[in-house]
Amino acid sequence: MFTTAAGASAATLLVTPALHTDNPSCPARARPADAPRVVLDAFRDAGCTFASGVPCSLLAGLFAALERGDSAIEYAPAPREDCAVGVATGALLAGRPSFVLMQNSGLGYCLNVITSLNMIYGLALPLVVSWRGRHADAVEHDVIGARMPDLVASLGLAFTVFDPDRAAACVGEVVDRARTTRLPAILAVDASAGL
Amino acid sequence: MTSLARLPDAAHGPLAPQAALRAVLEAAAADLVVSTCGYPSRDLQAIGDRREHFYLVGSMGMAAPVALGVALAHPDRRIVAVDGDGSVAMNLGCLPMVAASGAQLVHVVLDNGLHESTGGQATVRPLDLPALALAAGYRSARTVDSLDELAALTFDATPALVHIPCAPRTEAIGARIRLTPAQLVARARAALDVPHSEEIE
Repeated sequence: MFTTAAGASAATLLVTPALHTDNPSCPARARPADAPRVVLDAFRDAGCTFASGVPCSLLAGLFAALERGDSAIEYAPAPREDCAVGVATGALLAGRPSFVLMQNSGLGYCLNVITSLNMIYGLALPLVVSWRGRHADAVEHDVIGARMPDLVASLGLAFTVFDPDRAAACVGEVVDRARTTRLPAILAVDASAGL
Repeated sequence: MTSLARLPDAAHGPLAPQAALRAVLEAAAADLVVSTCGYPSRDLQAIGDRREHFYLVGSMGMAAPVALGVALAHPDRRIVAVDGDGSVAMNLGCLPMVAASGAQLVHVVLDNGLHESTGGQATVRPLDLPALALAAGYRSARTVDSLDELAALTFDATPALVHIPCAPRTEAIGARIRLTPAQLVARARAALDVPHSEEIE
């Protein structure tokens, strides 16, 4: 087991390097300290009890809460985003609603899993994907940041931009869209979100 | 020009992959099996299709991660992942994640040194996969190259890796997977005794 039953070996795994501090400039917005908790509680309220993912600085608060194991959601860190999707899909297959968190740079790694596993088996995972490059950001995020909505649209997947003022509702909508379409659904989180 | 392709020699492994899978299934008769795309899944379907077989028809490299997700959702059950040497090489990064889980997962790797489903090209693979699995943190890992040994396997220390050196296939290749992906999901859920409905989707 991972963080909700942190034994010695799991705890060792969770010693992480310092988080990136290169958050892009973004529209100023007060960051409610409990925003990550609101989001994770909304996933739990939607029945999701397992998550996997690969960190992003825009989602640092979510990852910190998941690593602490204080959210009623079991969390398994993955080495790469396609692995995270694979593990969460296995849990979903086995009757445990799940979701994945990642940076948009990892979306490309996941394309084959999304298209040749999730989309054809009807295993509909909500994907929380940071939107690096939406605003002024480091150069490596420019292309995926500009193309991310088109990329998602080209797959026919729902794309919802996270609104901090409707945090729980956004999560509920994305989970619902995944379930009703039987497809993965994307919750895009930009640098203004405070997560 | 020079090629870096490392084709297996004749002594690579004595077992036919299908015979090895039959023996594995004897040792894991009650377990849910998640199998990689291509010939291994077609082998399993031909050997004896059952609802405990969850065939991946795509997403190469994902057999072990998907099996891990199932195992984490059902810690009371043992789950078997059937990989090939090409598919495990595609996703060696998942080995430490599988290891860290401590899950009841048995990772079977059929290794004939070939991407046989695509015409028999050489794979790029580690020289010592069990050593790699142990270094990643698997609790047990070994190479097994006889049918008797395979059928007698017990899996007391999991996650476990069973590396089976094999020969190229000589038996007829099984048919493509007959059930739809949605049907495979429905029967896997039945095998796991979990609801299959809009509530889960």
